[in-house]
Amino acid sequence: MTIADATLEKAGAGTVPPTEGGTRFSQENIVPLLNAFGRQELDALDFGVIGFDQETVVRQYNRFESECAGLAPEHVVGQRMFTSVAPCMNNFMVAQRFEDALVNGTELDAVIDYVLTLRMRPVKVRLRLLARPDSELRYVLVDRSG
Amino acid sequence: MATLEEEHQALLQFLYLAPVGLAQLKMDGEIVMINPLSAQLLMPLSRDGNLNNLFTALETIAPELRHLCASFKEPYGMICDAARLQVNAGIPGKSDPQILSLTLLKLDAARLMAVISDVSLQVKRERQLQQHEAWLNAILQGMTDYALVPLNSDGGIEQWNESMERVTGLDEAAVVGRSYSIFFPEGAATKEGLADRLHEADQNGWSLQEGYCRRAGGTRFWASTLITPLRIRGGDAAFAGALHVDLPEDHSYCLVIRDIDEKREASESRRKALLCDHLTGVANRRAFFDAAELELSRMKRSPRPLSLVLFDADSFKSINDRYGHPVGDAVLRHFALMLQETFRQVDIVARIGGEEFAVLLPSTSMPEAFAAAERLRAAVEASWVDIDGVRIAYTVSGGIVSADANVSGLDELIKRADAALYEAKEAGRNRIRTWHPGQSRRLKMVTP
Repeated sequence: MTIADATLEKAGAGTVPPTEGGTRFSQENIVPLLNAFGRQELDALDFGVIGFDQETVVRQYNRFESECAGLAPEHVVGQRMFTSVAPCMNNFMVAQRFEDALVNGTELDAVIDYVLTLRMRPVKVRLRLLARPDSELRYVLVDRSG
Repeated sequence: MATLEEEHQALLQFLYLAPVGLAQLKMDGEIVMINPLSAQLLMPLSRDGNLNNLFTALETIAPELRHLCASFKEPYGMICDAARLQVNAGIPGKSDPQILSLTLLKLDAARLMAVISDVSLQVKRERQLQQHEAWLNAILQGMTDYALVPLNSDGGIEQWNESMERVTGLDEAAVVGRSYSIFFPEGAATKEGLADRLHEADQNGWSLQEGYCRRAGGTRFWASTLITPLRIRGGDAAFAGALHVDLPEDHSYCLVIRDIDEKREASESRRKALLCDHLTGVANRRAFFDAAELELSRMKRSPRPLSLVLFDADSFKSINDRYGHPVGDAVLRHFALMLQETFRQVDIVARIGGEEFAVLLPSTSMPEAFAAAERLRAAVEASWVDIDGVRIAYTVSGGIVSADANVSGLDELIKRADAALYEAKEAGRNRIRTWHPGQSRRLKMVTP
């Protein structure tokens, strides 16, 4: 664990233990990192990552999320985020915020408490909603450790 | 063959993507299984950010649910079926009220199934429909001289409303399910003629006629009748969507009957000036040829019988020579009156020559036309014209033809009737003859 990580852990929401690579759910300025990561690095993360493009088509779906949801990435990548992958988020709490950020060209970085229905069971999670005007991909990060 | 793992994933995805909220609960509302659409609908309602218990999640909009389930004593069954829960009132002009539909089914002593869906759009449409209905009722209540009659594709009357009773005196039992012919006096409309008007409304966007209509007691009143096709709007794609294009086009019509009895004289005199023979009051040549062309085109579109009778007053020249033209005119007026009394309102009686009259009989076969023509002939023979105490008797001859597929047009039809009339004259007058192939033409030509 680096000193930077420890500082961040105290400053952030804090429940995620740092993993080997050090990238954590609440890490600051995480979008460029996610953009740079390859499949292997995304799969090593201990939180879920769903990356989708400007047309809401899912481009990234990491192992953590895949295992939680019980769906292989090949069934998800290429599908529409809010209609075919995460319909549970298709409301003003999640989808609308991405839509607003895209229309207004503003940055979105918000953590909300949410319930996902992974394998048909209600699972309390924290979602981090990420969008930046300079990033082609937008992300929903899913933290189950809470 | 799919492996168990693949099938499992497909099943999961099926439930993930189901466009309706599904949840399995314990009796106290605790959520055991739940699909994503449920979360989409319920998360904005959940006060504590949890979805552990459905009753808790819906507490704010349906506080009675817990009690409703607890007091349901049957071992299994429907606790509520598509109950509507109002989420918010909406903002007038900005957003519509959000309404959820909830169905709760008790499976057994330990399990409940819940189905949740957003029915806001459906409710909005229902309200619009109710509003339209209320508008329509208000209009129908307030109308005094119009009757509004909804017709189906066959001209059957679909519904009754008060405007019909006000204008025609016909009550619901007399109207619903009947053909719109009940609004016309007997003889004023044929089955085919009624269908023609619907067809012409489709073609032109409307069909307007003035003529007699019938009241409940059998009395007549002069009315204008307007038929317009009603088209179901295809634009509601979000609702009817792709389903609509597969449905057969729904033809229905609106018939508006307007009582214009007090305007009858004005409108009739206008009509008469244009279309009636000034001496006898029956249709003139122009009106006859217009009407006959229309009937022939209708017949070609949907085949039905059509007959034509040409009548001629026998030895009319000698009446003129003997008594003078005023008496001849009186005879012609008498003849025209007899024709109008004998034939139906739907038949077209016209004076097409000096002493020559034509009667066009829609939807009438040769034997029927013959019977009517024979009745006319006998009635004329049995009557006389009384002029200053002088009784003048006369007779008429008639030639009949029925249109068939071989008739090229109105000209030929008239020529054939004329040939039959010639034969009647040749055979000694005061008789009716029907056309048959081989009949020779006489010299006179009758063309428009």
